Amino acid sequence: MNLILRLALPWTVWLIGFSALYGLQGLTCSRHWPAGIEPRAALIGAAALYVLLQGGILWAQAARPAPSPFAQRVATSLSAAALAAALWTSLPVLGLTICD
Amino acid sequence: MTTRPRGTALRLHRELKRIWSPDPRFRGWLTTNNNNDVGRLFLAVATLFFLIGGVLAMLIRAQLATPGSAFMGPEAYNQVFTMHGTVMMFLFAIPFFEALAVLLLPGMLGTRDLAFPRLGAFGLWVYIFGGSAVIVAMLMGLSPDGGWFMYPPLSSAAFSPGIGADVWLLGITSIEVSAIATAVEIVVTVLRYRAAGMSLSRMPIFAWYILVVAVMILTAFPPMILGSLLLETERAFGLPFFQVENGGDPLLWQHLFWLFGHPEVYIIFLPAAGMIATILPVMARTTLLGYGWVVASAVSLGVLSFGLWVHHMFTTGIPHLGLAFFSAASTLVAVPTSVMIFSWIGTLWKGRVRMELPMLWLLGFFATFVIGGLTGVMIAVVPFNWQVHDTHFVVAHLHYVLIGGYVFPMIAAIYYFQPLITGRFRFFRLGGIAFWLVVPAFHVTFLAVHLAGLLGQRRRIWTYDEGQGWELLNFIASVASFVMAIGFALVVLDIAINTLAGLRGRRNPWQATTLEWAAPIPSPTYGFASIPIIGSRYPLRDDPKLDLRIARGEGYLADTSRDRRETLIVSTAKGEPLQVAVLPMNSPLPILLALCTSASFLAPLIKAYWLSVVALIGVVILALIWAWTTAPRRTEGLVDAGHGRHLPVAAEGADPPGWWGSLFLLVADGVHFGALLFGYAFLWTVAPNWPPPAYLRPDLLPVALALAGAAALAAGPRLAAWREGHGPLLLSLLGCLALAAAAASIPLARPTPTAHAYDATLWLLAGHVGLHVTLSLIMLTYLGLRRLAGHPLRLGEARTFGLWADYTAGTGLVALAAAWLPGAFA
Repeated sequence: MNLILRLALPWTVWLIGFSALYGLQGLTCSRHWPAGIEPRAALIGAAALYVLLQGGILWAQAARPAPSPFAQRVATSLSAAALAAALWTSLPVLGLTICD
Repeated sequence: MTTRPRGTALRLHRELKRIWSPDPRFRGWLTTNNNNDVGRLFLAVATLFFLIGGVLAMLIRAQLATPGSAFMGPEAYNQVFTMHGTVMMFLFAIPFFEALAVLLLPGMLGTRDLAFPRLGAFGLWVYIFGGSAVIVAMLMGLSPDGGWFMYPPLSSAAFSPGIGADVWLLGITSIEVSAIATAVEIVVTVLRYRAAGMSLSRMPIFAWYILVVAVMILTAFPPMILGSLLLETERAFGLPFFQVENGGDPLLWQHLFWLFGHPEVYIIFLPAAGMIATILPVMARTTLLGYGWVVASAVSLGVLSFGLWVHHMFTTGIPHLGLAFFSAASTLVAVPTSVMIFSWIGTLWKGRVRMELPMLWLLGFFATFVIGGLTGVMIAVVPFNWQVHDTHFVVAHLHYVLIGGYVFPMIAAIYYFQPLITGRFRFFRLGGIAFWLVVPAFHVTFLAVHLAGLLGQRRRIWTYDEGQGWELLNFIASVASFVMAIGFALVVLDIAINTLAGLRGRRNPWQATTLEWAAPIPSPTYGFASIPIIGSRYPLRDDPKLDLRIARGEGYLADTSRDRRETLIVSTAKGEPLQVAVLPMNSPLPILLALCTSASFLAPLIKAYWLSVVALIGVVILALIWAWTTAPRRTEGLVDAGHGRHLPVAAEGADPPGWWGSLFLLVADGVHFGALLFGYAFLWTVAPNWPPPAYLRPDLLPVALALAGAAALAAGPRLAAWREGHGPLLLSLLGCLALAAAAASIPLARPTPTAHAYDATLWLLAGHVGLHVTLSLIMLTYLGLRRLAGHPLRLGEARTFGLWADYTAGTGLVALAAAWLPGAFA
């Protein structure tokens, strides 16, 4: 079961982070967003945290041995792919209009 | 494996056949829970629905063949296209691959049956009852007519009066329950019920794909079920979740629907991809290139598909940044899909391809799916999406993906596995003609539909005027579609004729390397005479005599003296033998439970809410009988599994199959709860008429009751694990009652759920707590009755109840906090 969790973790974190980023974007455009916080700064900060977390997962997967070379290879490649996906899907926060 | 004397195989076959066979009379079809019978029935019914969906498609093309056609009026056309999509997606595509999984998975994994045979039979009957209700409604002219994705406000009571939309919401939801039941069964089977020595890296590739798909079903269907619940309660009782004037928002439906709807496309594609990855290497007489990469791609594609839902909503006025997020995520899908495609092409490259009929259909897949994938990338780009949204271009794209990516590989799979399923080989050669009718006609049809879409023809419009440049394209598409339909009819006819009158032959006709071909042809009800012991990913290639040794009983569990259905449970990662699972015998319980479940879903269609309540009581009683009759009556300790190993019976372990099943069912339940919180947050953040006139302010007593109740409920099962007596169960009971009282305070304080979407949401949060407290109480009743009957509480039972109790306590607290916190801080 631990192995299954290791295989599931990278993309699950990607999905949660991606959804959270989208949710944060919605929140920054809503009536609940506090006036003192710059929306883009918050989004860039959240995206950076998200990418760092995915990087941490990749590092941990590569450093910690799995029960078999197959599991190690698959878990590490999934983590690398999820990190690349997090970078790619976070890029829009750098430039595009947030609420229009 | 140990060696046994000659003649053992036949004796073993006779004894296992006696133990595993269904009742030979007609009632055997109603009481069987064997995967072979359930799978074949599933397959036959799904094929029937495919034919119905196909006839509806022909009606659509007949109507669109000429401008201003009088063949159908708009009312009939709306029903026909809605039912075509609904039948194909919910009644054919998903059940068809589930049928193949039920039928073939135990053989591929080297086990004798699925983990929960009765649950599989229950899923089948719920599907048959729910699907039949939807079709009967159509024949009575009571079909839904708002499109297969049922957007409100069109599907709300104001604009869709009558029961058409209710038929969709209730009928389809019941079928989703069936899908979830089957998914739980598949996940637990793949993780735990395998041949000895079958580590994760030795699993057949289809098992990886279907594992990913089953987890996707568990996580994609709950948002849809929640959406259906919200829309049905709005239609039936006026809870205004989607009514803007009362704090609702129709966009909430689109989010919930596409949270399901987009992964659904991959739920349909991935099993087909699993079949391709299984069949292609055999046809190329080699092994799959890049097994690990394909596994990683399947996992990646499965999860990525959940991050794309908003790309179906690009034209709803979402801000640019949101569009860019989902456009970026949508383009990512091409990466794992390409890894798979290149793996398959590489496999063909390194092998020596034989051009058998399954291979022909796989080539049809390549030619079609790649085009569908490329038009998918086009649609992922926002400006292009805006141009072609709701046009026939999208219709053509989705048919390229679904027919090319699903139907063609599934036909290949049927031809490939026909000897195993029916025991017959192809003799009549209609299949080749059918292929050359279907594939070219498909491309002519949908190329024309693509072009009509690019020229601006809208989908879901019952007719069109002359002079727009669409006439010839539509006429060509319609003629070609009828040729395609004739081709599909020939496929069905070819398979039917060969099933009835094909040649009989020897096992493993394709010289495949995976375990399902080690079984006799057709696969017997018990699957394997003994559980295989394997040492590689390609057991039949590396151990050519394995099939004979399995038949002679030289694997595990060849001893039939215990006179019951047994199979092996192994460790998830390494495939080491851990436990002996005792599977249930034939029973009418699954069909009876399915009857009550379906009645509880469908009775509201005729406003017979009392019948729904009666049926639900029936569900509870039957579920208790089910659990009671499958629980072991005595403690056995270790039993002889063969090869000098003595293993515990699974029900006596700390993690019995029920614990695993509960774990994955709770995953689905957790996603449902998460979707409910998402809906609440969405309305709170985005809906125009928020905040509500007043938030609910929490009182001290309900808060204290909630905290104490949750603590008691969580503590009870933990105490039960190490302490005898009634105390732990009573503590859990008190916890349930306190939590229920806390939840009840919400509707008492806000008695009008129709006033505002906020009030309706509060009722739903309280309902979530109430439902799970009720489930916990039912489990407590069962455990209490078992104690009264003199059965001590087993560790596994306590841990299984503990899972439910923890979930009820945890989500109960979160639900109540979500209800109270806005008021506390307002």
